[in-house]
Amino acid sequence: MKLERLVPWFVGILALIGASVTLLPPGKVRGFDVAAFGHLPVLEGGRVKPIDSVGRNALLVIRGQQSFRHEDRTVGPDEWLLDLMFRPDLAAQEPAFVINDPDVLGLLGVPLSSNRYYPFSLLAPHVEELQRQATAAEPIDARQRTRFQSAVLNLYERMQLYWRLSNTVQIAAGPPLVADIANAANPQWKPRQDALAQWASFRPLAPPAGTVGDAGWHSVGEALRRASTGSTEPGLVSWAKIGLAWAAQDAANFDRAVGDLRAASAAARPDASAQAAHEWIFNRAQPFYAGMVIYVLALLLVFASWAWKPALLRPAAFALLVAGTVVHTAGLVSRVILQGRPPVTNLYSSAVFVGWAVVVLGVILERIYRKGFGTAVAAATGFATLIVAHHLASDGDTMEMMRAVLDSNFWLGTHVVTITIGYAGTFLAGALAIGWTFREQLARRLDPATSKAIVAMTYGIICFALFFSFLGTVLGGIWADQSWGRFWGWDPKENGALLIVLWNAIILHARWGGYVKERGIMAMAIFGNVITSLSWFGVNMLGVGLHSYGFMDKAFWALSAFVATQLALMALALAPRRFWSAARPAAAEAGPVERAGDPVRPSRA
Amino acid sequence: MSDPFRKAEMAVWDAITSLKLTIACLAALMVLVVACTLAQVNLGTLAAVSTYMRSPFVWWQVPQSTVSIPVFPGGALVGMVLAVNLLAAQLKRLELSWKKAGLWIVHAGLILLVAGEFVTSLYQVDDRLAIEEGQTANFVESAREAELSVVDTTDAAVDDVYGIPTTRLARGGDVPIAGTPLTIRVRRFLPNAAVSRGGAPSGATMGVGASVSVQALPVSTVDDIPNEPAAVIEPMAGGRSYGAWLVSPLLGAPQSFVHEGRTYVLSLRQRREYLPYAITLKKFRHDVYPGTDIPKNFSSLVHISNPGRSEERDVLIYMNQPLRYEGKTFYQASFGKNDTLSVLQVVANPGWLLPYISCVLVTGGLLVHFAVSLRRGMRRTDEAAAVPAALEA
Repeated sequence: MKLERLVPWFVGILALIGASVTLLPPGKVRGFDVAAFGHLPVLEGGRVKPIDSVGRNALLVIRGQQSFRHEDRTVGPDEWLLDLMFRPDLAAQEPAFVINDPDVLGLLGVPLSSNRYYPFSLLAPHVEELQRQATAAEPIDARQRTRFQSAVLNLYERMQLYWRLSNTVQIAAGPPLVADIANAANPQWKPRQDALAQWASFRPLAPPAGTVGDAGWHSVGEALRRASTGSTEPGLVSWAKIGLAWAAQDAANFDRAVGDLRAASAAARPDASAQAAHEWIFNRAQPFYAGMVIYVLALLLVFASWAWKPALLRPAAFALLVAGTVVHTAGLVSRVILQGRPPVTNLYSSAVFVGWAVVVLGVILERIYRKGFGTAVAAATGFATLIVAHHLASDGDTMEMMRAVLDSNFWLGTHVVTITIGYAGTFLAGALAIGWTFREQLARRLDPATSKAIVAMTYGIICFALFFSFLGTVLGGIWADQSWGRFWGWDPKENGALLIVLWNAIILHARWGGYVKERGIMAMAIFGNVITSLSWFGVNMLGVGLHSYGFMDKAFWALSAFVATQLALMALALAPRRFWSAARPAAAEAGPVERAGDPVRPSRA
Repeated sequence: MSDPFRKAEMAVWDAITSLKLTIACLAALMVLVVACTLAQVNLGTLAAVSTYMRSPFVWWQVPQSTVSIPVFPGGALVGMVLAVNLLAAQLKRLELSWKKAGLWIVHAGLILLVAGEFVTSLYQVDDRLAIEEGQTANFVESAREAELSVVDTTDAAVDDVYGIPTTRLARGGDVPIAGTPLTIRVRRFLPNAAVSRGGAPSGATMGVGASVSVQALPVSTVDDIPNEPAAVIEPMAGGRSYGAWLVSPLLGAPQSFVHEGRTYVLSLRQRREYLPYAITLKKFRHDVYPGTDIPKNFSSLVHISNPGRSEERDVLIYMNQPLRYEGKTFYQASFGKNDTLSVLQVVANPGWLLPYISCVLVTGGLLVHFAVSLRRGMRRTDEAAAVPAALEA
């Protein structure tokens, strides 16, 4: 008995330890302290971040993954970026580009095969043709482009990013940075300085000590121009040394130069160094990936508990859910601190937050009802939303700077968070209803008390969702009144939010009027998933309205498939039970409500 | 009173107050919202909203005819029915008790919200103020509506401005201008037109219009493509005509004629509303995040000069921080001319405060109601939980 009580604690703590293993300091890569290099703070996309983030996001955009296998070892983002900047000929042989479109492959003269990853050297001979095709596709409205046009434009943009990265610290073709520093005052070298200033994809040189703000960050080109007037920034020399050491594969000098540069930037701008170090840990820990894994394990354990040793496994599954929540929360809090913003700032973070809110609500429900059902639904939804978030992250930096109209922590913290909690509530109600449907239709033994408890949970969550979606919608209106001069403009995103409010209100009124019973409420709750997904993602695909910062078109088929499954589940929820189970003909006709009131069901006693 | 009559009365009352009507209205509203959202892709927001939301019915034009038939209740009708249903049901069904206090507050807030949307659709006026650094303006312009302006510029110090809205021009006929001896005869009016050299004459006999032609264009309903109206008008005064003039925002310089020593300038331009105060743009700023094109902030530093209130002060208008002044709200909307021109959106909406009050009421009401329900529900759950526990024991 005592031991059984310890099992959940053991499982939960084991999961947390597993998640934090990633925080151990990584070893050297082939003798190079690549991790120290990854810590270096740079300015990119308007904010300070570790160069590790630049490499990761770039590789994510270009290849769709944060690392890859090449010549029988795993190449990480920092090592890849170093190769790209200082050994460009070698980097050109690494399979950094993902190309899926058969027509684009045809353009490159590559036969279709199972291989989807190609090196830059394959693309290089076709640059002019790709540029021609991309230039032709660019002026066409994004919604009107053919699949080939979108694909070729996308490939060309990724090539541009690749090319800019390789020309940020030094010019890829020609002498290294040391030569540029030595000839800084020579007017013949000025075009190279201008090129470096123009092409730089990030600014690697920290502002001098005592400055505040990010305006003082310099590109290498700008620093060379200043060097031509006699003031060589110390960071410039360190970068040149890093480049030389990596090109010569000289680990000792590489580590020393990186160490010098890190110490110098930490002394000049401790705030930037601390920020970069924090984000480096966040990058390495990948809390949302760890959370995803823990949620799957929790889900599997709940399933197992329904078949075997429920008293032992159900609490263990709950412990895993809690451990997943802890990891998920840590990631969310980390993002909030890193960005200095409320948790939801873009579609990606809204998915992370929806998952988090659902899981927290699930933990609360499970504490109240203790049926294992809350754990299952929360773990499944948490996993699903983190998968969605994972796919939304492929656009690169998920902590991009907020455009002027969104630059308001007050409104991001009130309207955006509230409406996202409303999404989460509606999804949780839908997920509970789906779980209820499976249970009703597939379970061998009916347990009316549990069934009733699930209906009660769903009802409570719908009330919760109505409250938050209404409050969020009206707060959005008030924000619109503050920034665009009208409370309500029937903008697609506003309409989407309104639909959620209306639908939840309809469910509650239909229930209060007695027009729907258990089955009806559950089917309606599942339809809530359809409405929420359409208002969350669907309206962004219309490409009209003022909320265009969240525009996306890639997920159209995924969204359609989701809607189709929800409609199928609604049909399943409404299908009479006798369709599925011949075992209990009597139970089919009697409504669950009546059964719940039946005192003569002592089967569990 | 006869029995059947009473019965019918009761039936109507039941129908008006029924929960089914509420649900039907909410469902109809959902259909309208979906239709309005999808229609925006082709129609633009303004047209979609007026088709589905601001009209009592959604009309369907029978193909190859001019006949339109109503096919669905529009947003205005549904909103009205919903408000009546809410009020009536509130009076009939919900008893005055603490248990129901939350719902009372919620529904009062909702009625206020619907009322606010009606007030907005009836009374909201959207204007713009485009102003360059160093310039002063004492009027706001409509973004979509034009007017024929007749300005008496005889007095060098003060202009007398008279405006005739295009809606009046569209009706044609003679339009006397009060306060002047002038009458404007409308010869021709095009709500959207193109002007070109050559082709059929425009019908004007005077000014630049005599040598150009105008072609009618289909009326644009898309928000970002404005209409360019054109009109041929004939000013008449003291029994004589001053010729037919073509006016349009597409023509460059204003045209003028002299009647009894007074000079009148004619132009068709965006409808203006003059303000009893003047606004000067001192500085416009457009900040970006370092190393990117991502806008960080737009702001306009303006000076308000209001002799009526002997007020002279500077105000900074920036994103999410509008200026509310004398019933108008000035928002940072756009910019141009290499960051020296600032465009402010100017909105007058007497009902702007209603949604704020409604928000507080509904939120508070829902909180009260759910708190009351939760307490009741908890009590029930405790009782229910006692039974299985007893069984398992």
